[in-house]
Amino acid sequence: MSVIKVENITKVYTETAVPVHALNGVSFEIQEGEFTAIVGPSGCGKTTLLNILGGLDHPTSGRVEISNIDITEMKDSDLINFRLNNIGFVFQAYNLIPVLTTLENVEFIMLLQKVDKKKRRKRSMDLLEQMGIAEKANQRPSELSGGQQQRVAVARALASKPNFILADEPTANLDSVSTSNLLDIMAVMNREEKETFIFSTHDQRVIDKARRVITLEDGRVKSDEIRE
Amino acid sequence: MILKIAWKNVWRSRGRSLVVMGAIVVGIWALLFGTGFMNGFMVGYMADIINHDVSNMQIHNPEFKNDYDIKFYIPDGNKKVEEVRNWPGVKGATTRIIVNGMIASSRNASGVQIRGIDVQHEAIVTRLDSLIFEGAYFEGIKKNPIIIGKKLAEDLKVKIRTKIVLTFNDGNGYITSAAFRVAGIVKSSSIKINGQYVFVRQEDLSKVLSNGNNVHEIAIITDSRIDEELLVNKYNAIYPGDLAESWRVIAPELAFMQEMYGQMLYILLVIIMTALVFGIVNTMLMAVLERMRELGMLMAIGMSKLRVFVMVLVETIYLSIIGAPVGLFAGWLTIRYYQNVGVDLTEYSEGLEAFGYSSILYPYLDADAYIVVTIGVVITAFVGAIYPAWKAVKLNPVEALHKI
Repeated sequence: MSVIKVENITKVYTETAVPVHALNGVSFEIQEGEFTAIVGPSGCGKTTLLNILGGLDHPTSGRVEISNIDITEMKDSDLINFRLNNIGFVFQAYNLIPVLTTLENVEFIMLLQKVDKKKRRKRSMDLLEQMGIAEKANQRPSELSGGQQQRVAVARALASKPNFILADEPTANLDSVSTSNLLDIMAVMNREEKETFIFSTHDQRVIDKARRVITLEDGRVKSDEIRE
Repeated sequence: MILKIAWKNVWRSRGRSLVVMGAIVVGIWALLFGTGFMNGFMVGYMADIINHDVSNMQIHNPEFKNDYDIKFYIPDGNKKVEEVRNWPGVKGATTRIIVNGMIASSRNASGVQIRGIDVQHEAIVTRLDSLIFEGAYFEGIKKNPIIIGKKLAEDLKVKIRTKIVLTFNDGNGYITSAAFRVAGIVKSSSIKINGQYVFVRQEDLSKVLSNGNNVHEIAIITDSRIDEELLVNKYNAIYPGDLAESWRVIAPELAFMQEMYGQMLYILLVIIMTALVFGIVNTMLMAVLERMRELGMLMAIGMSKLRVFVMVLVETIYLSIIGAPVGLFAGWLTIRYYQNVGVDLTEYSEGLEAFGYSSILYPYLDADAYIVVTIGVVITAFVGAIYPAWKAVKLNPVEALHKI
């Protein structure tokens, strides 16, 4: 089943004197359970594409369907709600809420979804167990290593039971051991829970782990390689 | 959880938050004490004037106050005062004979209002006896004792037991004089008592006037819980031929002062709260701009703009209302302390007394003022919160996420 359908999207930035064509007619589909890396040199349009897939930005033209819902013309207020219930985010800089504990950070998204407290707590603890950091539940992000924080971020992204997870350079700030651990966890979630992951990355280790690699260049899909 | 996050966010920059809270404490304390101080001036001044001079209400013959012609006395004044003394809410009532005349010593002369008083009841109504500065309250001099004010005594260069002469119109068109001896000198913040009134026994003045014990003025002091307007209306209804008036009519400048000082609290409140708003807005804007990436993340993962707005709003309100009770308590405590011991302004007594103010000031603030200040703080907190919260929701999540 197609989780994401991107049809001929373009994005032109007109704020500068010379318009910038960040995306030029990009089209592809992502199926459920994919582990896809979007790669390309700096300025190729990866971040722009990810922002559009995540409903954080609108394309200048084209369509984006997520689970058969066209999000292209959605109002910002509807997009916020859509993101909450359909898309999980993992950021390069972790972006955990520093004043909350690890457990509360994971719970937070379910709180926004108005999930019952007992269910929130149980699911959060289960996810932290799966991430291998359940013992850190009552610690604040500042007391965790980079790798641990990113695992919390992944747990938070999974907590809302999204259709897919967008990870923007998730390993950029991690050492090799942490990177390896994180990728293993994500791979397990992908294999066993059929979670769909879409990465934007320069990291070869991530690219090597991906089963599909979409390469962008100058705002266009240069290649779309499916590996098994 | 939003409330919890907001509370924790307040303490992320402990020093900055404490500075803002401290500013609120000081601002509210200054507002309360400043207003209490000015109120103390006003209340003290008004109390002096009402208690020692004007009283809560006065009764006259309607024609009397046109020209202070002594033939316009209150019919059956002595009977009426007896009746009024028994009314509920009346603490005391006294009668006066009033004649405008001259006072002369061997060294000087001055125009005065001669007040023939009921010695016993005058003390109840105006506590004139408590103002004695030198000498005694109608004691020590058997024949024609007189009490004059300190300033008048200085102008006339007289002291206790000095003989002075009062000259006035006796009501029959004749100028008459009578000699009196100074029995006591009073000191008051009332300019009139100090320099314009002289007090003699009613019976002594009556003899000279040959007015048959008729009186020109009934002065009444009421219970503080009673609105004297009710008694004024009651008297005027029963005796429409007389004219009863409250202090607000007799001394309209007092009523104006009371109203003006009543507005001072609001004026000071607006000034101080406006200053505080800028401090709060500045602090919260810094907090929002420092957390742009975090706020962008929250909106990216699905926190609605309304929730972001409420979170920043609640943070600002927390910042404001923590300092408020401390400031209110500090203000209340300071006023309570000085209400008991007074603020000593004797260094400035000459200047103050020239304007009729006492040199020991007792700050005063009623309960309403604290409620008004509390409401003011809450409004300030809301007003201060709006701009930072609006700035937060106006953030573009994409741009905010990429801020370093």
